[in-house]
Amino acid sequence: MSDFFKQKKLLTVFATIALLATAFIWVLLSSGPLAKIKIVVTEVQERQLEPALFGIGTVEARHTYRIASNTLGRAATLNVDVGASVEAGEILGMIDVVDLDEKINAQAALVDSNKARLSEAQARLDYTSKQAARYRKLLPSRSVSEEIDAAKQHEWTLARNQARSANSELLRAQAELLALHALRNDSYLRAPVSGLIIARHIDPGATVLAGQTLFELIDPEQLWIDVRFDQAGSKHLAQQQPAQIILRSQELQPHTGHVARLEWLADAVTEERRAKVLFTQQPQPAPSIGELAEVTVQLPLLASTPVINNAAIMRQNSQLGVWLIDQQQPVFQPITLGRSDLKGNVQVLSGLSAGQQVVLYSSKALTANSRVQQVEQLVDTP
Amino acid sequence: MQAYGIKISGLSKSFGSGDTAVHALKQVNMQVAPGEVVGLIGPSGSGKSTLLKCLGAIIEPSAGQMYLGEQLIYDNAWKISDLRALRRDKIGFVFQAPYLIPFLTTLDNVALLPMLAGVSNKEARQRALELLTVLQVEHRAQALPSRLSGGEQQRIAIARGLINRPPVILADEPTAALDSVRALTVIRMLNEIARDYQTAVIVVTHDDKIIPTFRRLYHIRDGITYEEQGQARDIS
Amino acid sequence: MISLAGRDILHAWGKFVFTGIGLGLLIGVTLTMAGVYRGMVDDAQVLLDNSAADLWIVQKDTLGPYAEPSNLPDDTWRAVANMPGVANAANVTYLTMQVVHDGGDTRALVTGIANTGPGSAGWPLRLLAGRQVSKNHYEAVADIASGFKLGDRVHIRRNSYLIVGLTQRMVSSSGDPMIFIPLLDAQQAQFLKSNDAIAQNRRRIQRNPVFNNPRNPEVLPAVLELQESNTQVNAVLVQLKAQAEPAQVAEDIRRWLRLQVYDREQMEGILVGKLIATSARQILMFLVILAVVSAAIVAFIIYTLTMGKIREIAVLKLIGTHNKTIVAMIIQQALALGVIGFIVGKIAATVWAPFFPKYVLLTTQDTISGLIAVLSMCVLASFVAIYAALRVNPADAVGG
Repeated sequence: MSDFFKQKKLLTVFATIALLATAFIWVLLSSGPLAKIKIVVTEVQERQLEPALFGIGTVEARHTYRIASNTLGRAATLNVDVGASVEAGEILGMIDVVDLDEKINAQAALVDSNKARLSEAQARLDYTSKQAARYRKLLPSRSVSEEIDAAKQHEWTLARNQARSANSELLRAQAELLALHALRNDSYLRAPVSGLIIARHIDPGATVLAGQTLFELIDPEQLWIDVRFDQAGSKHLAQQQPAQIILRSQELQPHTGHVARLEWLADAVTEERRAKVLFTQQPQPAPSIGELAEVTVQLPLLASTPVINNAAIMRQNSQLGVWLIDQQQPVFQPITLGRSDLKGNVQVLSGLSAGQQVVLYSSKALTANSRVQQVEQLVDTP
Repeated sequence: MQAYGIKISGLSKSFGSGDTAVHALKQVNMQVAPGEVVGLIGPSGSGKSTLLKCLGAIIEPSAGQMYLGEQLIYDNAWKISDLRALRRDKIGFVFQAPYLIPFLTTLDNVALLPMLAGVSNKEARQRALELLTVLQVEHRAQALPSRLSGGEQQRIAIARGLINRPPVILADEPTAALDSVRALTVIRMLNEIARDYQTAVIVVTHDDKIIPTFRRLYHIRDGITYEEQGQARDIS
Repeated sequence: MISLAGRDILHAWGKFVFTGIGLGLLIGVTLTMAGVYRGMVDDAQVLLDNSAADLWIVQKDTLGPYAEPSNLPDDTWRAVANMPGVANAANVTYLTMQVVHDGGDTRALVTGIANTGPGSAGWPLRLLAGRQVSKNHYEAVADIASGFKLGDRVHIRRNSYLIVGLTQRMVSSSGDPMIFIPLLDAQQAQFLKSNDAIAQNRRRIQRNPVFNNPRNPEVLPAVLELQESNTQVNAVLVQLKAQAEPAQVAEDIRRWLRLQVYDREQMEGILVGKLIATSARQILMFLVILAVVSAAIVAFIIYTLTMGKIREIAVLKLIGTHNKTIVAMIIQQALALGVIGFIVGKIAATVWAPFFPKYVLLTTQDTISGLIAVLSMCVLASFVAIYAALRVNPADAVGG
């Protein structure tokens, strides 16, 4: 009986030793320097890349009309407020230039006064011209002296000039009256085009300065997006390229558009290229001015080249390249890169050909001597 | 001169010094011939344990001489450097309790001593097995001490004491825990062994069951011994 | 000669292994503590490695960008890129903040990287899944320690970012996972305040007649835009040309551009020496205490085991066993306990290390020195038991 127990004990002892030893060896192999590095490998493909440019921008109106007063005055009436649609030529408000009416009256009175003076000058001219003619007639018969004749001629000349002068004065006063009338007409603010009032900077009764913007008007059918693209890839940006627009307020509903204009002035500090992108069809309801939008511009298809995921690109001794797998051994292959698309695929211009196996992901940094083990994936992807 | 198994003369042992000194042994003389079994009797505190310990080279006496066979091992100072080897090879101990090593099998308990002396494992175990057979406990060779009865354990303890064929066996109350039948068996075995292997056996005891079996007895009281002829009752 | 130690262990196998497991867990804790320390140092080094930079350029007289806040104008990199010996210079921003996602928020080091193409300084060197960021807004690469998955959306300040790639071991020096986003977005995140604060700021400026002049309507928007834009970065990362001397280039930049420049060694000194020095000392002290406690426990266990056999030891001495045999038995038992404990400890430490919130690095060197330390400790601890065993008087085995 003691033999049986002894056997059972020996068995347990061996089992425990075996268990500990196995666990220990597993520990040494799986986590120490002897452990194999897990890698995920992918194949280089020969494809045409569809590059795209991504930028963010804000929605803006194509034209913003700022309606201002030409004169200093007071806003007497304002007929519209923010959000109102107006027609071209519609009166938006009136500026009351305080003493304009009085000035017009004064000027009219001046005109009358000048008219009277002109009459007076005309009358004198008449009289002096008649007198000058009479005395001239009398001169050869020596009934009047030469001196008096000369005086009468002189009076006539004077009267002529006075009449001319009175006439000019009258014209001037009339012109000034017309000017004041024009000014009074202009105190009506009119909308230059049909559109939407997006801002009103004053309320009725406020004093306005000459040149102060009172209303801002836009055409809501003419909205575009002022986009900033990263300077790096923007060389290939061109007009008429198709674009996809995602508005911040309508994230799930992309809109289509195209590049309307490239700005010549780039932003040197932020290093971005600016462009204007138009909607193909204006979204209804219209987006707010200043709303953020994400714009993706599709660039023309590139020629077919070997293509890899940018996760495979590694830097070794200040050289860019990938790790190839050659009979279970990693080998570093320097490559030169071309353009890329927004999905992370990059053209390989030299160094790789289609079908080669490159390391995409690795659980630790690879060296030429690493022992590797290929797996399907390193993390559980949902 | 007849060769003595063990002989001591003028052996004294004192503990402490000055006024508080305890004189446990005073000028003890004793001799046991090979093949002889003698008893050592005395009340507690008489010094018999001390005497046994001196005989076993466990403690150092204060004065006197000790011969083990032909060899002078103590002459007012130890003449042997390695006392443990002496005990291992020349003196067999049998205790009141078996004191077997609980984690060794019976066989290994007995074979341990020759192994310590340098004998190969195989030969040591072989010798042990032979001895166990003689003592009729060979069927318990692979058992652990905890599984044995008292009597079996005692026999194995005796086997351990004998395995190195020592010229001297010191037994300290070997039968105290046994009933009369077993006690007599143990004494009988000791006698047989003494006779067969020419071993000198000293048995410290106060067990009335076995005292009559001795041919010679030593009494000890207050550190002084005197000899007595025993009854030598037959126990075969 | 049979092995007394072996027989004794076999005899009380269960108890021995149980004790060994207990000791092993303690040793595992000690190894893990050492691993935590190494992990902290590794975090710092990994942060520097991942920058792929040879030089760090920060605000003058600061220890930035990791140890101290540092702000530079974001066009500094141009001047740096023109210095001789510089191959690449790239802006970078760092901000530790809470990142909001569906499950709550997570603390992360949001890193803004200038996109100069693949292999840019500051971009994560190696991905576990997905791809690197390709758009210059609203995409992110996150470290797997943050718990995010590919396709998750996270909110950093006002914007939401799509996780397009996952990395591993990209953590700050305090162990927070890193999230890489494009530089422009990161600058905005670091600077831009809440909507309330911005509205108040705007009102304040509008009330000021100097800025809000009706004769000059363009002034107000320009001032507001100036207030609300951020043109700062935290550091410029520099990669040197192959033949360039880091010390020389650094000195040139310090002298001519009046900026603070650190090379790799100096950054390591700052990170390890200043940032984690206190934590490291704390852990070291803990490690020492653990080692002492482990030694004490081993001593106690061996002593108890020995005292349990003290009678047998006396008997062994009596029947002629030499001291060296007895000492060998005790030491062998102590060593066996140590070996079992170490194996259990190493297994335990390896198994539970990944569950720690911060990185635990168990190096081979630590394993070997740990083994040596455990075995030495066992031998030393057994001296107490050996002393007791040697002192026992064989005469005590004989009663009376």
